[in-house]
Amino acid sequence: MGRTAFCFPGQLQERPTLKEDHPLRRDPHFKEWVERASHQTSFDLLSFSFKGEETGFNLKLQIATYLLSMIHFSRLRAEGWVPDIITEHSMGIYAALAASEAITFEKGLWITESIGRILEREGTSSGGAMASIVGLAFREVEKINQDLNGFGLSIANYNGSKHFVLSGKEEGIEKAIALALSRKAISAARLTFNIGLHSPSLSGLSEEIQALLEEIEIRPPKFPILNHWTVRPLKREEIKDFLSQEIGQPVYWDRCVEWLIKEGINQFIEVGHRATLTKLIRWIDREVEAFSAGDRLLNK
Amino acid sequence: MAEANNDLIEKLKQLIITRLKLADLTPDMIETDAPLFGEGLGLDSIDALELVLGLEKEFGVIIPDAEVGRKVFQSVRTMAQYVVDQKEGF
Repeated sequence: MGRTAFCFPGQLQERPTLKEDHPLRRDPHFKEWVERASHQTSFDLLSFSFKGEETGFNLKLQIATYLLSMIHFSRLRAEGWVPDIITEHSMGIYAALAASEAITFEKGLWITESIGRILEREGTSSGGAMASIVGLAFREVEKINQDLNGFGLSIANYNGSKHFVLSGKEEGIEKAIALALSRKAISAARLTFNIGLHSPSLSGLSEEIQALLEEIEIRPPKFPILNHWTVRPLKREEIKDFLSQEIGQPVYWDRCVEWLIKEGINQFIEVGHRATLTKLIRWIDREVEAFSAGDRLLNK
Repeated sequence: MAEANNDLIEKLKQLIITRLKLADLTPDMIETDAPLFGEGLGLDSIDALELVLGLEKEFGVIIPDAEVGRKVFQSVRTMAQYVVDQKEGF
């Protein structure tokens, strides 16, 4: 008997394409989801903009990612898919919490936007950056950080044996990219972020986020959610602490997938628009079945 | 300099499908000269890593760095030409 994990991806790296003929737009509830989000946040998914407000690219991507995950989740559930467990990467936690009914859709959206605005404010003043390094092993990436000692670089995402994301200040990240390429990385490139997510430099924001969450009601999750940092299921009473601290802690995605496989999960469904986590899972274990709800819809 | 033949091109298309687990595709659906990244097949850096490993395992050909990778992974034809060149000892 197969066991299924729903996987909620972190922030998209580019504006999602939703052309007129995109099959997601034919979903009978698509318009309703878009309007609910627009009503609350004034963000319009189709025009990828906030009405009457200029905001940063990353904030828009965060809200779009949340919304698309929730739309895909609702479609999967309507088709009869039921997760045995939910796992998430980085800011995928907000949609994961809403999907598990620990918080409502509206609260999840509110948290996404509120934390997104804090990160946008910090990003403007911090000069942070992130880079994806593909093709180098852990020791080689560690060596880059050591060689650039003084630039405060840290590994933000452990995505697989040869895929890591670095966080730090812009200058350090640019130097790390150059070093990684000179040391034969297959790819080393900046991500869209203007902040060093999942690095200790953001630990100072946890009090502000904790205060933000004070009035939020957390209900027992309907489906267990895997903590991407301790790689253990999140208990209801840990959720607020997790949300306030996780942006200062790394994402151990590779360990999450390995833990789930050990627990008997043999089917991974990415609840999102792209196939980012699906490809990472393919690298971690080629035997398990993994697909993205977004890709599947396009290929139907 | 020898040119890549159809048999090699077919094998490389099969390698792409197998390594990237593109179950919905058949070799004839992949255009030999279409870009593999961005527009064309829409591959990304994780896919590139899989293809690097696949070329090494299946053809004993090494992609030493990102610069070579960018040139080789332009299309199936450039991949095939690289395999031929490496086998000839270029």
